[in-house]
Amino acid sequence: MIEVVGLTKVYPDLAAGDFKAVDRVSFTASSGEAFGLLGPNGAGKTTVLRILTTLLKPTSGVSLVNGFDCVRQEELVRNQIGFISVGTAVYDRMTAWEFVEYFGQLHGMNGPKLHERMEWLFDKLGMQDLRDTLGGKMSTGMKQKTSIARALVHDPPVIIFDEATNGLDAFAARASLKIVSELRDAGKCVIFSTHIMSEVERLCDRIAVMSHGRIVDTGTPEELCDRHGENDLEELFFRLATSEPSPPADALSVTGEAAP
Amino acid sequence: MNLRNIRLIWRREMRDQLRDRRTLFVIVVLPLLMYPLLGGVFFQLSQFRQQHQAVVVVGGAEQFEALPDLPPLLSDEGFTGELFSDPSQRSRMTVQRVDETPELLVETYREALASGEVDVLLGFPPGFAEGLDEVRRNLALPSTAGQPQEAPNEGLDPPSPLVLYNSGRERSQVAHQRVQELLRVWQQRVVRSNLAAGNVPAAVTQPFAVQQLDVAAPTSRDALFWSKLLPLITFVWALTGAFYPAIDLCAGEKERGTLETLLASPARRGEIVLGKLLTVMSFSIFTACLNLAGAAAMMQLLIGSISKATGGVTIAPPSINSLVWLLVALVPVAALFSALSLALAAYARSSKEGQYYFMPLLLAAMPLTVLPIMPGVELSLGNSLVPVMGLVLLLRSVIGGDMATAATYALPVIAVTLTCCWLAVKWAVTQFNQESVLFREGERFDLRRWLAALREHRGPTPSPAAAIACVGLIFLAQFASRIGLPYLAPANPGQGFLTAAMLIGQIGCIALPALLVAIAFTTNWRRSLWGDRPPRGSTVALAALLAIAMHPVGQRLAQWIREQYPLSDEVLEQLQGLGALAGENPPLWGVLGLFALLPALCEELAFRGVILSGLRKSLGDAGGVLLTAALFGATHTILQQSLAAAPIGVVLGLVALRTGSLLPCVVFHAIYNALPLLLAYYRESITEFAASWGLDGIVFTEIGSEQLGYTAPIGILGVFGAAAVLYALRRRECGLPHDPVGLRTAPSRV
Repeated sequence: MIEVVGLTKVYPDLAAGDFKAVDRVSFTASSGEAFGLLGPNGAGKTTVLRILTTLLKPTSGVSLVNGFDCVRQEELVRNQIGFISVGTAVYDRMTAWEFVEYFGQLHGMNGPKLHERMEWLFDKLGMQDLRDTLGGKMSTGMKQKTSIARALVHDPPVIIFDEATNGLDAFAARASLKIVSELRDAGKCVIFSTHIMSEVERLCDRIAVMSHGRIVDTGTPEELCDRHGENDLEELFFRLATSEPSPPADALSVTGEAAP
Repeated sequence: MNLRNIRLIWRREMRDQLRDRRTLFVIVVLPLLMYPLLGGVFFQLSQFRQQHQAVVVVGGAEQFEALPDLPPLLSDEGFTGELFSDPSQRSRMTVQRVDETPELLVETYREALASGEVDVLLGFPPGFAEGLDEVRRNLALPSTAGQPQEAPNEGLDPPSPLVLYNSGRERSQVAHQRVQELLRVWQQRVVRSNLAAGNVPAAVTQPFAVQQLDVAAPTSRDALFWSKLLPLITFVWALTGAFYPAIDLCAGEKERGTLETLLASPARRGEIVLGKLLTVMSFSIFTACLNLAGAAAMMQLLIGSISKATGGVTIAPPSINSLVWLLVALVPVAALFSALSLALAAYARSSKEGQYYFMPLLLAAMPLTVLPIMPGVELSLGNSLVPVMGLVLLLRSVIGGDMATAATYALPVIAVTLTCCWLAVKWAVTQFNQESVLFREGERFDLRRWLAALREHRGPTPSPAAAIACVGLIFLAQFASRIGLPYLAPANPGQGFLTAAMLIGQIGCIALPALLVAIAFTTNWRRSLWGDRPPRGSTVALAALLAIAMHPVGQRLAQWIREQYPLSDEVLEQLQGLGALAGENPPLWGVLGLFALLPALCEELAFRGVILSGLRKSLGDAGGVLLTAALFGATHTILQQSLAAAPIGVVLGLVALRTGSLLPCVVFHAIYNALPLLLAYYRESITEFAASWGLDGIVFTEIGSEQLGYTAPIGILGVFGAAAVLYALRRRECGLPHDPVGLRTAPSRV
């Protein structure tokens, strides 16, 4: 469903010369799976996910979403993905209904089919009372719900949550996580990035720990704990994230190991 | 390109903007409120100005009381009412009469005049009235029959009255003008009464009256007025109306985080840009129209009230025809301004940063809309090729009813306008495709850090940033030398000063910056300056041949440019002054060294050496060559020279790329510069030689005044020759590993 091989992103930087935000990252994730991308701020999670959503072009490496290439088949890839991130806000001067309808139309939907889908989503997410609320008047939790409705309106097979619980209160975060697990159970491929360990623990089938642009280790939470002789995932995360990563000897071997 | 998506985005953005009260206020309410308000304020101010009381202190006026025959200057309240052309003006002058001589008057009232308590002092010296009377009495003496009267007033000049005013205060200036006008009218009356006393008919003072007749129909006069005013208002507002929505649609969305949402949707970047562009254009056109209507209404009101006051000229409203043409022209102008605004707004990180870009854009666009309104600027081929300016001039012709001129230049104007629109839209799309622009976060430009990083991460040859640094240094040095040189000039500048100026201009302003950049910001300065490959005899010879082949067509181009954009008298004078510095018969080797070899060496080191090799790393070969050529043109300070130099810069860039060495460029440049000098130097011998062989007018012909040029067949032959040489250069380099100037790896687009 998602295949990432040897993904590298280099930014020219004034002070440090070339800055490698993402360094030979490889992983795969399949349908019905919640894949967690775990790492401290600045580890390169957002860059990887932006490349997957075709917002950024990789310097090298290949990423495929549902078999479509993220560089050469941009529009097809974007059609396969529902993307929710801190950076994807809602329009202040548009009601929730208009907002979701607009993105549905951009995805090529219209007429009764679109409205049926929207009614279903609004019911499901419990946001019928938000229909006529302007984005500017919404609370953070309401905005999050609207964003999720926007990302799901075209019923995408792949859903990407980039630190999507940031800034949400406990209730809203909990609601979001519930939606994620429901989506996974519905057979979607969910990529979930966060720096909060407990979220991963509750939700993710497999995780990859990122640090300094590289994947330090990847596997199911149990595998990781066994491999590093650590019972507490939280402790494990800190150890992995702060350890100086050794470059992957061969990008492909990591994929081979991690592939389900 | 999906039209449905463009329409969707356009409709959404329009609705979004219309829901924003600030946008609505600036675009709709402001113009509707502003013009009536402006009109009102203007009225108030003009009332204020007219009602100001001018205080005039008159000294020594009591002497007139003894002369009842003299036409009166002053009455009890002030100046005599008959002297005023507009009697209402009389009440606006307060006259204080004092009994003092002019000298005393000055002493007493100097302070008051400086502080503005008094606006004008008018002093009549003792004996002034008597002098006047004397003149009058002499005229009145019966003349001796048969003999012309001997100038009776010889030596009878009455002493001059004194008027003091303070030009540092506007009120004093205005009062001074009024007093002068009163004195002039009074003087006329005195003359008439004197003549009447001497029985001379009054007509001698005005032997004839001029009758003036304006053949222009009132409509064409009004058309001229509107053709100047309407485009200015419309286009300036089109820019303003485009800019604010553009900022909100790009920088604002970046700030609010909604841009990423849109970019992650299936809409393509091109569709997003076009949807936003249509929105910005709609607002631009709408704002322009509203402001036009507001301004026109205000003008009508003002003109009406002014003409009522003066009882004279009225101006008819602009014709429907001219308004329709204005709207037709508004569409491409709005498109151009909208695309420029959109690209700038996309580049800005935040709305605040976006606002900063408005002033430079306005400053760049204003001259293009204001210049064509200047008197004497007419539609010509040269002017029609300047973006916006050509369109404004075309519009002027159309509104003014001069359809023949308009039709002649319509094609170039439309071509230039459409090209500019296309380029601007393309620039906006490029901005939207650049992730560094879309996701610019936080980093601030810091010159010191930038330079330090440039030095820290320097490679064997210049980086694009080093090339930019070199360009910056060159322009700075040129600016400094242009300011400094006049101070260095000796009292009688001659050849020595000319040589020094050329050396400073070339070595100091061009070669030195290049050398500094190469040493400071590269690890291999020799290779940076000189290219990668050792020069080869054959490529150098081909470059020499290319220069000779290019010269005829280059000369034609320069000539054509000078015809389209004639040199101003000021520049011509400067050039002649420069020519005069060289003196009579300067030595040929000196001229060639100073004007051919020196610039060739210095300019090539900088432009093809450092700048091209740096710029092509980020812009690619074609982009690098074109931008370097444009910069090369820009360093030639006179516009006509710049326009002629830029195409040669392109050829030089091609030579540099294809030979990988700088020497062929230097040889080309030196020969190209030397040819016109040689032609001028050997003009007579060439003509004689051609005449003696019967070859007159085959190769050379006289062009312009006393200048030897090439015939058309030679020019065409030259073009083919140049193409052949460029082709040969490419062939020659094919067998070698491709390793062009200053680069080991092929350039890549960033």
